[in-house]
Amino acid sequence: MAELLIQHIDKIYDNNVQAVYDFNLNVKDGELIVLVGPSGCGKSTTLRMVAGLEDISAGHLILDGRDITKTPAKDRDMAMVFQNYALYGHMTIYENMAFSLTLRKENPNVIHKKVMAAAEILGLTNQLNKKPSQLSGGQRQRVAMGRSIVRNPKVFLFDEPLSNLDAKLRGATRREILLLHKRLQATMMYVTHDQTEALTLADRIVCMSMGHVQQVGTPLELYDKPDNLFVATFIGLPPMNIYETVFEEGMLKGKGFNVPLTDEEKDILKDHVGKKVSLGVRPEDIEEASEGGLPVKVFSNENLGMNTLVHGHLGTADGVRVSAKLRGWTNYKNGDQVYVHFKRKHFFDTETTKAIRKEG
Amino acid sequence: MSEELKIADDRMRFTKNTTSSRLALLAIVFDVLYFISIYKSDVGTYYYNIMIGASVVYNLIFLLATFLCSEGVKNYKRSYSKLMIVLGILQIVRIFILPASAHATVVGEPIESIWQVFNVSIPVSVANTVMSDGQFIRVSIYLVLSAICLFASAVINNKKSSALEAHIANLGLDKA
Repeated sequence: MAELLIQHIDKIYDNNVQAVYDFNLNVKDGELIVLVGPSGCGKSTTLRMVAGLEDISAGHLILDGRDITKTPAKDRDMAMVFQNYALYGHMTIYENMAFSLTLRKENPNVIHKKVMAAAEILGLTNQLNKKPSQLSGGQRQRVAMGRSIVRNPKVFLFDEPLSNLDAKLRGATRREILLLHKRLQATMMYVTHDQTEALTLADRIVCMSMGHVQQVGTPLELYDKPDNLFVATFIGLPPMNIYETVFEEGMLKGKGFNVPLTDEEKDILKDHVGKKVSLGVRPEDIEEASEGGLPVKVFSNENLGMNTLVHGHLGTADGVRVSAKLRGWTNYKNGDQVYVHFKRKHFFDTETTKAIRKEG
Repeated sequence: MSEELKIADDRMRFTKNTTSSRLALLAIVFDVLYFISIYKSDVGTYYYNIMIGASVVYNLIFLLATFLCSEGVKNYKRSYSKLMIVLGILQIVRIFILPASAHATVVGEPIESIWQVFNVSIPVSVANTVMSDGQFIRVSIYLVLSAICLFASAVINNKKSSALEAHIANLGLDKA
């Protein structure tokens, strides 16, 4: 069990490119932290710095009260699971799992006990005499996890472990990782660009962009109360609809549409009268309304089973697009007119991109 | 049976019998040392006949058979133990064929030389054999060591494979 403090960490490469800016995080004992963000945002670099595979340019890394900023990777007591499994093809699954302990010259019987226990947890007992090439991608990833488990490290690090798997296997392996975390109660850091993985796995999510931490919070906090426009549009699928509007006369006026506000919403925006406000509405927060709602001219209707994803132009002006996840099965044709109502709205300062919320 | 022994037996289900395998490979190394030693001497000149041909062919067969045994015992195949015992006995028998024969064959005149013992010169006459005493002892040691490695490998493999078979029977599994 371990507590990891990441204090003001920067990563500057030799060519002066800065990949990570002032990364600050307190990973609590037994917590599963997911770093999420688009490609090139610095999440893998951060994980590699924690693992010791990249030098830390500035800042401190403290594990259980011990400064390990300069400690070599092998002495950090962390185990990393890679996207490409990194298994030895000429060794059996048993030998792969036992390898790190064999290098440490541990007692063979102790190694055997640990490997069998890990294989039992991961359902690999019947595969131990096989070679990695005889296993499916999901099984190989489980072997990679097993190799980490036998070491009993203080921190588990996962670098996009499910990216090589197909959608079905990804779902199944994701559930296994979650069960593993619950069973081991281990401190874990997990990197992914897939927000579904982030939302389903994390105790807390760190959302990153361009090397900066955008928001740290529980999955619900990031979904429900995004701190800025980036987090709002990155978390959630389909992404949040964003409209540029101006707050005037108690309503938000956009290009070809006006959105009426409740008294509570007006109160939130009271300091932004006459200013530009970005209105954010999640597709699932849009519902069909009778006439009098906002008009939407449909150009696409995708039935998903329980819901229908309707895409159209909002208001009278073309070019302002809206995506709505409507409940049930609808069969709108291209050019049909629908009226919608925004159940829940998010407001952002267009200039700073920060969320506008009621204090407290 | 103690817990540790049980674990050691169970471990064999997933690990190779590297001890036996390496001993078999060591037997090959000693055999190679033997034939390098014997072929670089004058034996070929005096025994340039069917014996040398047979010796070369047997060495090749020995290398192949022992290598196969090393792979077999690696996977706890008990039948290879028997083959290794036979190969070990043949290594001992070989001492009394070519090396012993070469060592006993005298050619030409005895070699006259002077031995210096405590500043006293002693003239000696040594029989000029095809294989000298020193070389005979050396090749004999190589063959004996090769045989010992084969016997040890066979015994260890036999013991381990018996234990593994019993353990698998206890678990009620089919032998993989």
